[in-house]
Amino acid sequence: MKSVAAAVLVLVAVALAAPVALAQQREPEPQAARTRDGAHTAPRADQAEAPDGAAGHQGFENGRGAAMLFWVLALATVGGALFVITRRNLVAAVMGMVGTFFALAALYAMLYAHFLAAIQVLVYAGAIMVLFVFVVMILNRPEDEPWALQGLLGKALAGLAILYLLVRVSGALWAVKDTPHAVVAGPRPQLADSTRPSGDLQTPSKAAQRDDDWGSTRSVGKTLFREYLFPFEAVSLVLLVAVVGGIALSRPHRDPEATPEGNPEGKSGDGEPGEKS
Amino acid sequence: MNDIFYKLTVSHFLILAAVLFAIGTVGVLMRRNALIVMMSIELMLNAANLTILAFARYHGGAAGLEGQALAFIVIAVAAAEAAVGLAIVVALFRTRRHADIDRLTLLKH
Repeated sequence: MKSVAAAVLVLVAVALAAPVALAQQREPEPQAARTRDGAHTAPRADQAEAPDGAAGHQGFENGRGAAMLFWVLALATVGGALFVITRRNLVAAVMGMVGTFFALAALYAMLYAHFLAAIQVLVYAGAIMVLFVFVVMILNRPEDEPWALQGLLGKALAGLAILYLLVRVSGALWAVKDTPHAVVAGPRPQLADSTRPSGDLQTPSKAAQRDDDWGSTRSVGKTLFREYLFPFEAVSLVLLVAVVGGIALSRPHRDPEATPEGNPEGKSGDGEPGEKS
Repeated sequence: MNDIFYKLTVSHFLILAAVLFAIGTVGVLMRRNALIVMMSIELMLNAANLTILAFARYHGGAAGLEGQALAFIVIAVAAAEAAVGLAIVVALFRTRRHADIDRLTLLKH
């Protein structure tokens, strides 16, 4: 059990260190990073290539560290996911899930989705996993037979079908890499190629075209509160309904005439170890 | 061959998301504990989110930002799903004293 905890800690540590390493990796320009004799040896490449912003095919040179980071994070993610679905101990499964979510947040940061990386850590690794831990504490019962192995033949067939589908889908997805702007380690995408009218009355169009703004909280918030205002409000309604539904479902329901309200026997009668949710 | 390891493209992220989704599917199909099944569903939602964000990075521009807004909405809906699903699991455990989805056959017959 101690090795399990150590593995989870390593996962979390790698996921936490990843954005820092990525930021350090992205700072130097490609030529400077390749020659390795100094961090600032290629200022002309700095001026020449940075503003033009075409992602191009230079990812082979400057993306090596990012690629290594991607493999580490992919290993952490897949390992955490396999950890989740193979553990008997529910708390260990939840901890593996937390490690997976941290690594996923770092992957989101690699895709310039910094706001969503923060949201991933806050909402998933914070709130949802705490909810899971509370429910695990309520359901503290070891399961006798964790794997549903009835009908093993059909499930083996289903597993083979999933594997085949995965291979075919991966083959289709691998073809995406030959398109020009598929190199992830290139410069940040820009807002400037927007074809829709901005509708922004306050800031001039120059501010909307800052190329260091893509994926930030500011730009995502603008999108959410302008074009996606109605889905945003609909989601708030969904969350309200979910809160009310969660309370209504998890309340212990009892017959109203059998145990009148405020009866101490009624409370101690169905006293369960954890009914506070 | 070195391209696969050193040249990071959007396909890497897409295939990783596909692998995560497959692991989540296997978890939903093969495990019996309702909590593990719910965690596998969360895993599948995260894989879908990773796909959305990879394509948002691929397209860039305002369309990519709309993809990020969509991923935000997916996270919010997943939070609502987790809350309601865990409430259902707690209610089930309160009445049946177990959370084994293979034994929950009340609606089957």
